[in-house]
Amino acid sequence: MSDIRLEGVSKRYGAVAAADNVDLAVAQGEFVTILGPSGSGKTTLLSLIAGLNRPTSGRIFIGGRDVTDAPAQQRNIGLVFQSYALFPHMTVLENVLFPLGVRKINGAMARQQAIEALRLVRLEGLEARRPSQLSGGQQQRVALARAVVFKPDILLLDEPLGALDRKLREELQVELKQLQRTLGVTTLLVTHDQEEALSLSDRIMVLDKGRPQQVAAPAEAYLKPANRFVAEFLGIANFVGLEGGQTGVVRPERIRLAEAGTAGKPARVTEAVYLGQMVRYHLALENGGAGAPLVAALPFVGRALTPGEKVCVSWEAADIWPVA
Amino acid sequence: MIGASPWSRRLLAASGIFGLVFLAVPILIVIPMSFSSARALTFPPPGLSLRWYAALFGDSRWMEAMATSAILAVLASIAALLLGGLAAYGLRRGSFRGRDGAEGNFMAPLIIPTIIVSIALYLGLARVGLLGSFLGLVVAHTVLNVPLVLMVMGVAIREFDPRIEQVAWSLGASWSHTMTRVVLPNLAPSVFAAWIFAFIGSFDEVIVTSFIAGRYQTVPKKMFNELILEVNPTITAVATLLIGLTVLALAAVAAILARAGKLKQTLV
Repeated sequence: MSDIRLEGVSKRYGAVAAADNVDLAVAQGEFVTILGPSGSGKTTLLSLIAGLNRPTSGRIFIGGRDVTDAPAQQRNIGLVFQSYALFPHMTVLENVLFPLGVRKINGAMARQQAIEALRLVRLEGLEARRPSQLSGGQQQRVALARAVVFKPDILLLDEPLGALDRKLREELQVELKQLQRTLGVTTLLVTHDQEEALSLSDRIMVLDKGRPQQVAAPAEAYLKPANRFVAEFLGIANFVGLEGGQTGVVRPERIRLAEAGTAGKPARVTEAVYLGQMVRYHLALENGGAGAPLVAALPFVGRALTPGEKVCVSWEAADIWPVA
Repeated sequence: MIGASPWSRRLLAASGIFGLVFLAVPILIVIPMSFSSARALTFPPPGLSLRWYAALFGDSRWMEAMATSAILAVLASIAALLLGGLAAYGLRRGSFRGRDGAEGNFMAPLIIPTIIVSIALYLGLARVGLLGSFLGLVVAHTVLNVPLVLMVMGVAIREFDPRIEQVAWSLGASWSHTMTRVVLPNLAPSVFAAWIFAFIGSFDEVIVTSFIAGRYQTVPKKMFNELILEVNPTITAVATLLIGLTVLALAAVAAILARAGKLKQTLV
């Protein structure tokens, strides 16, 4: 178990910076997610930490040790890819034994550790299968077992649940979080899925064009975004004009709707999207109100508003967060 | 050909059959002739016998040529497999300046007219004093067969997920351990196919060999020389053996690749 520290890490391809002067400190046992759209440089950052790529400048520390120039083999890292990357010619057990064999751990001792790792990911009984005989979820569990069986200093996950369907993804999210907590291993996850980032991580680093936009706990990043990019990338953002020409962001669930003619700004429902527990309303402010259109998310109680209905919109001053 | 008219389909079938027959005719003539009882080359053979096979196996010069060809093909195909395989890996996995140029250079012996390659090898080997030597022959055949290996292995490596290797490294495996325990076991069918192509490529080669072999006789070179000197039915026996070897080797390649492919299909 170790901490991770990036100091001014940059990776340039010609004029393009895939990582641009990134500083990040992940505490021992912490779960941090690097969140960004495709092309934001998040996978580049992960490959730099894994040692699959060398930074153009900056230093990388794992457990206080400067590993910037160390090859991947010497970093003691558990790595999991979206494509699973299991060894196709080996059985499940052989896959999990592989990192132990490399470390000269063999025989009954290795077997016991491998079985234990497979038990952790709830795959006992499938030891003799080949990866191709497993479902996507099972393959990803094997990849996880293989990545943690040798007690790595840190765990790096590159969109590990991206290839799975929604229900399975949510299941595995819970398991992944439990596994990480059980092992207490420092974990860095890369994803473009904001829900995954919000639900799994202790902290999130939002990345855009190779530059960190904000590093914060999920709730803080969501409610107090550092800038417009973060506000828009994490969930739905309503931008409202503030005094002095500033802009503020209000989240949809903080918007209140009341009957037309009461206090608040008059608006018209343009669309109602039923989401189960919630209904999302798209609204247009009337009288050319500043910042229209708006999105509100309300619990579904009894009846949903229909498009065309007139309402009054309001929000608390405390729910506005100013962004640059 | 879905949606094609019956006429165009018939035309396609006819031209296909014609092409096949055209290519097969020499084989259909040579094989019966090799079992002929006649003293000279005649078709159809007046009677059947194994006399030309007896003559072939009783002739120490033919046996010597076969041994030379076999040893040469084994050495050159292994060297081509090593060099071409490593080149394919570097070209597929690496990103460096001049990669396309390097690939073109490796493929050149297959693209440039053989006569030019022959002259180049003749001059090159003469310059380093290997002209007419067995080592020179091995070098030349290696150069000629690297493109075949590069093509087969290049495709196989491109289709192999590079992240599998990256994971192996991250798990602590050295480059050579990853190569021997992870990459090669998965590419084994292609390695074998590439080796067979290189072996046959060397065993069948006649043009370059004629230029540089000096006193060494390989089977195709001796066949060529014999045809010039005298038309001897022994040659049909040699040809039949060569055809048999080639067919067997290609059948082995097809079987191995089909099995690997089928395995993949059932597994995915």
